[in-house]
Amino acid sequence: MTTTIPQQPTPASAGPKQALLEASGVIMRFGGLTAVRDVSLTVNGGEIVGLIGPNGAGKTTFFNCLTGLYVPTEGTVSYRGTVLPPKPHLVTQAGIARTFQNIRLFANMTVLENVLVGRHTRTREGLFSAIVRGPGFHRAERASRERAMELLEFTGLAAKADHLARNLPYGEQRKLEIARALASEPGLLLLDEPTAGMNPQETRATEELVFAIRDQGIAVLVIEHDMRFIFNLCDRVAVLVQGEKLVEGSSEVVQNDERVIAAYLGEPFEGTPQSAPEAAPADAPESAPAGAPDDDEAPENDEQQENDK
Amino acid sequence: MHTLPQQLANGLFIGSMYGLIAIGYTMVYGIVQLINFAHGEIYMTGAFGALAVYTNLPDGMSIWAALPLMLAGGAIVAVLIAVGAERLAYRPLRNAPRLAPLITAIGLSLALQQAVFLWYPHATAGKHFPQLPGDGFDIGSVSVAPGDIFLVVAAVVCMSALATFVRTSRTGRAMQATAQDPDTAQLMGIDTNRIIVIAFAIGGLFAAVAGLASGLKYGQIKYDMGFQAGLKAFTAAVLGGIGNIYGAMLGGVVLGIAESCASAYISNIPGMQQLGGEGWKNVWAFVLLIIVLLLRPQGLLGERVADRA
Amino acid sequence: MTDIPLATAEAAVAGTDTGRRAAPYLPMPRTAARAATLAGAVISIASTFMSWTYTTDFPGDLTVSGYPGGLQIMTLIAAILTGVVALGAFGTPGLRWLNPSRSPNSVLLLALATLGTTWYTVIDIAAKLGGFANLDPGGFVAFIGALVLFAGALGLPIDRRPQEPAGAEYYELGRFEKYAAVVRTYVWLREARLHHSDLRVADARKLNPWLQRLVIVVVYALGLKILTFGLATDYSDIFIGYLIVVAVGFWGLGASGLLKQFQQLTHRNRRFSATVGVIAAIAYPFVQNNEHWANLGVSVLIVGTVALGLNIVVGLTGLLDLGYVAFLGVGAYAAALVSGSQFSIWSGVQFPFWAAAITGMVAACVFGVLIGAPTLRLRGDYLAIVTLGFGEIFRIVVRNLDGVSGPKITNGPNGIAQIPDLSVFGYNLGDNHSMGSFTLGRFANYYLLMLLITVIVVLVFTRAADSRIGRSWIAIREDETAATAMGINGFRVKLVAFALGASLAGLAGTVFAHVTNSVVPDPYQFSGPVPPNSAFLLAAVVLGGMGTVSGPILGAALLYVIPEKLDFLSKYELFAFGLALVLIMRFRPEGIIPNRRRQLEFHEDEELAPGNRPMGDDTVPAATAGA
Repeated sequence: MTTTIPQQPTPASAGPKQALLEASGVIMRFGGLTAVRDVSLTVNGGEIVGLIGPNGAGKTTFFNCLTGLYVPTEGTVSYRGTVLPPKPHLVTQAGIARTFQNIRLFANMTVLENVLVGRHTRTREGLFSAIVRGPGFHRAERASRERAMELLEFTGLAAKADHLARNLPYGEQRKLEIARALASEPGLLLLDEPTAGMNPQETRATEELVFAIRDQGIAVLVIEHDMRFIFNLCDRVAVLVQGEKLVEGSSEVVQNDERVIAAYLGEPFEGTPQSAPEAAPADAPESAPAGAPDDDEAPENDEQQENDK
Repeated sequence: MHTLPQQLANGLFIGSMYGLIAIGYTMVYGIVQLINFAHGEIYMTGAFGALAVYTNLPDGMSIWAALPLMLAGGAIVAVLIAVGAERLAYRPLRNAPRLAPLITAIGLSLALQQAVFLWYPHATAGKHFPQLPGDGFDIGSVSVAPGDIFLVVAAVVCMSALATFVRTSRTGRAMQATAQDPDTAQLMGIDTNRIIVIAFAIGGLFAAVAGLASGLKYGQIKYDMGFQAGLKAFTAAVLGGIGNIYGAMLGGVVLGIAESCASAYISNIPGMQQLGGEGWKNVWAFVLLIIVLLLRPQGLLGERVADRA
Repeated sequence: MTDIPLATAEAAVAGTDTGRRAAPYLPMPRTAARAATLAGAVISIASTFMSWTYTTDFPGDLTVSGYPGGLQIMTLIAAILTGVVALGAFGTPGLRWLNPSRSPNSVLLLALATLGTTWYTVIDIAAKLGGFANLDPGGFVAFIGALVLFAGALGLPIDRRPQEPAGAEYYELGRFEKYAAVVRTYVWLREARLHHSDLRVADARKLNPWLQRLVIVVVYALGLKILTFGLATDYSDIFIGYLIVVAVGFWGLGASGLLKQFQQLTHRNRRFSATVGVIAAIAYPFVQNNEHWANLGVSVLIVGTVALGLNIVVGLTGLLDLGYVAFLGVGAYAAALVSGSQFSIWSGVQFPFWAAAITGMVAACVFGVLIGAPTLRLRGDYLAIVTLGFGEIFRIVVRNLDGVSGPKITNGPNGIAQIPDLSVFGYNLGDNHSMGSFTLGRFANYYLLMLLITVIVVLVFTRAADSRIGRSWIAIREDETAATAMGINGFRVKLVAFALGASLAGLAGTVFAHVTNSVVPDPYQFSGPVPPNSAFLLAAVVLGGMGTVSGPILGAALLYVIPEKLDFLSKYELFAFGLALVLIMRFRPEGIIPNRRRQLEFHEDEELAPGNRPMGDDTVPAATAGA
C-alpha cells in the first residue's frame, strides 16, 4: 500500500482545520421510533473521525441521513458550508462518497466497470455522445479508464480488473467498494464498517489504506466495531448510544469515558467501579488498562460541540 | 337509470368486486413485496371452477343449494392454483433478482389463461353462468339486481372475516409481524413460509368469491376476464395503499365509483363530449392510476415506508 | 487473504475446477465403445442410401434407393458429423481440430441428435402410415444404426459432475428425503449431469489472422446455408427433424469447444465478423430469392429489432415493460397518419421516409416519457403494471378514436388502410427491381430497409451499453441504492433508457406500418394470436438472453419461425410462451445466449496468466479499437 493516489487537483483542498462536513441537530424518526436524536457532528479537512456505538445505536441510520438515503426528520447536513439536499446522487456529486455495511457492489459487472460507475459524477457524456462516439467521447472514456486503473493499482486490485465483482474474495470486495467510492473524487469518504469480517492482517491492510487515503487530503468518517482499529486510526471518535451522541473526543478521552464503558458493558455494579473496565477485553480491549477515567474531559467536549454549532 | 344515486350504486357493486380481488394483490405484496400478476387469472379460474361444479350438478337443483357447492369448487381451484404457484414458481425465486418473479408471474398469467382457453370445454367464447332467481328491484331511484346484492354481501362478509382474522388470531398476528420484517419474524419462531402460503390462499379464496360473484352479476364468464379485472384490482390496491387490506377494499369502491361516474358524466363536460361512455371507462381508470401514482404514490391509506438500506 | 468468508463461498466454487470425472453411462470396454460408435455412424450413413418405406405417402419420398432424400438427409448429416467428431475425439490425426476439448461429450450429444432425428423419422413413418410394417429394411437399418451409435457413445468416458459425497443431505427434497429410492434417483441424476463447460480449448486466436478471417467467413456462410435450408423446408415433419439436429447438434458443438473457439475468433475480429454478419444478412434475399421467405425475413427482423429495443429496458436497465408493443403501435400509427394514405385524417400529407421515421420515433418517445415520468420514481413493480395498463389502454383508445365513440383520428377497428409503399431516394420499395440475375420483390426491398434499421438499433444498443450511460443502467439493474450512492440520478437514467427503448420501437413501427400496408389496433396488445405482442417480445428477450445483442434477435426468430413452420403448434403458442417464461426463470435465467459477463467467468482462469490480455469484455477492445 505504498502507492499514492495520483489525485487530480483536489477540489479546493480544505485546510486542515476547516470544517468539511457539518451535521447539526439531526433527528431521524421512523413512525414512533427515534433512531437518531439530535446528533451533531463535524468533520474537518484531513481528519479521520470514528463513529462507534453498540449495535442498534443508529450509526448506519445517521450515515444514511448524511448521504441523503434518508431524509432527516429534523436537522441539516452541510458540506463545505452548503446545505446538502437529501438526494444521494446530489450528495455524491457534492463530494461525499460512501461504502456500505453489507457490501453492495454491482455483482455482475467487472471490477473495472464498478470503478467506472464511481466516475459517473465526474464525467459528462450522455446518450447522444455515446452513440455518436466523437473524439470527446473517446478522450473522456480513456481518461476515466486511466483514472480507474490508477485507483485499482492504489487498492491493489489492478490484476483483477476484468474479473466479475462477485467472484472476488471478501476482503477484495471491501477494497473494491473503497476504490469505487474514491472514483467519485470525494473530499470526504464515509466508511461503514470497512473491516467487518476481516482477519487481523486484512484489518491492518485496511488501516494503512485509510491512512493513505487521508494522506491524499480526503477526510474520512468511519463506523467500526473493531476498537483497536478505531483507536489506532482516528483523530477523533464520537460515540453514539441509543441514537444520541454520548461523547466525542480523542481516542484517549473516549476510551476512558465511564459512560462509554457503561454503554458497552452495562452499568457497573454499585461500589465496584474497577470491575467494568477489567471485564472489558472481550469487547473493547483497549479500554482495559485505563482504569480510572477522567471525568472532566467529557464536559469540555460538550462545550466544543456547542461551539461547532 | 342515469341518476347520480344509480351511478354511485353501480360503482359500489363493481367496486366491491375489484376490492375482493385487490385483497389478494395487497396481502401478497404486503408480505413478500411481489406483485402477483397471475392473480387476475386466479380470479378467472375461480369462476370457471364454480361453473364446472354447476354443470356437473344434477338437473333441477335449486341455485340456492348449488351456490355453496359452486363456491367451494371455485375456492378449491383458485386456492390450489394460488398456493401451487407460490410453492412451485415463486418460492424458488425468493432470493433471485427482482425481475425474475415478475417475469414468472407474467408467464403464469399467460399460461393459466391459455390453459383454460385450450382445455376447458368450449371456453373459446364466453360461457353462460347461472343466474340468481328473481328480478331486479328498486330501492328508491336505484335499481338493483340479485347479483349485485350477492356481491355486496360477499364483500362485507369477507372483509369483516378477514379483519377479525388478522386482528385476533395467532396466525393473523404472525402475518402482521411477517409483513413488518420477515427476517425478525422468522427469528421469533414464525414459520414465514407458512404465512406466505396462507396469504396466497386467502387471496385465492377471495378471488374465487369475486369470480363467482361476477359470474352471477354478468351471467357470463370468459377465459380472458382475468386480465382486465386484474389490472383494475391492482389499480384499486395501489389507490388504497398497497399492503393495506382495508385500503384495497376502499380503493376498489373508489375506483368503481370513479369509473361509473366518469362514463356517465365526462361527456357532459364541454369539449369532452365524445370521451364518455363504456368505451372510455377503462381509460379513465388508468388515468386515475397515473394521477394517484403522481400525487400520492403511497395510496389513500398507505404510509410512506423508508427503504431498507 | 486466505480466509474466505461465506459471501464468497459460491464464487470460490465457480472459480476453481471443482472436479470432474470421466465415466461412461454404459460400462463397456473402451475399444468396444469406440468401435460401436464408429460402426453405428457408418450404418446410419449407409442406411440413408437405402429405401426406408414402401410408399410415397410419407412426405419427402423416402422410397428411393441410391441417394438420400427428405428426412434421410438429416440423419445423414448428423451421422457424418458424429462420426468425424468421434474420430477427432479418439485422436485421429488431422481430425483433432474438430473436437478441441477432446471431450467425448460432444460425440454423445451428436449421437443423440442422430438418434433423435432417425427415430423420429422411423416412428413418424410408422405413426403416419399405420404401423412398422410400412418400413423398408432401410428403415430398420437406420433404426438399429442410430441405436448402436448412441449405445457406443454412452460407453465412452463422458465428462460428468463428480460423485456426490457419501452421506450428503438433500434439503431441497423436503419431505421426500425420507424415501431412499427418491434420494437414490436424485443422486443418480445429479451425478449424471454433463460437465464440460469449463474444459480448456486451444486458443484459436493464435491462428494466422487471415486464416481466422477465412474461418469466420466460412462459418457465416454455413450458418446462412443452415438457416435457409431450415426456412425452405416445405413440410413440418422435416422441419422437426431439422430442429432436432440443429438444437442438439449445437449443444454438441458447444461441448466440443468449437463454439468457444469461434467466439474467441469473433471477439478478436469484432469488426470483421460484424461486417461479414451484415453481408450474410444482406445476402439472404438473394440466396432465398422468393417473396414468401423475404416476407418471413422482414417479419423476423421487425420482431427481432423491437425485442432488441425492449432489451435495453428489460435486459440492461432491469425495468419490466409490459406494454412495449404499444410504442411500436404509436410509431406505426404516426407513420400511417403521415403516409399519405387516403384513410388518414391528413390524407394530403405525405412525409418522406426519413421524416416519417423521425415522426414515429418522436411520438413514441413522447409517450414513453409520459408513461415513464410518473412511474419511474417508484418501485420497479409499478412500472410493470402501469405499462401493462398502458398497452391495454392504447388499444382501447385507438379503437375508440373512430369518429363515433370518440374523435376521429385512427378509424377505430378498421384502422388506416392503403398505406402507400415507401420510396427511398427514388427507389420505390413496392416495385420489383432487377439486379443482374436477381429480382428483388417488394418484401425483399423492405427486408433490406429493415436490415438497415436493425443495424442502427444494434449499433445504438452496443454503443450505449458500453458507455457511461450504459454502465449506469447496468448499475441500476444490479443495485439501485448503491448506484444512486455513486452519484447516479436513478430517475433520469431510467427515463433515458425507457424513452430510448420507446423511440426504437417507434422507429421499427414506421417500417412495420408500410410493410403491412395498413395499421389496425389488434396486433398491439399484451398477448394475442399474431406476433408483435408484448408477451411475444418479452418471451423473445428472456428466451434469447437478457442484456445481449444476439439473444433477443435469435429468440424472436425462433419464436416467430417455429410456429410458422409447425402450424399445428400455433394454437398452443401463447400457452407455451407463458410456460417457457416460468421455466426459463426457474432453470436457465440467462437464456440461450448468456450475457458476456457470464462468459467472463469461464475465461477468468486464462486471464490470470500475465501478459494474456483478457478479451472477454466487449468494452475493452471497443475503446481501444476506436482510439
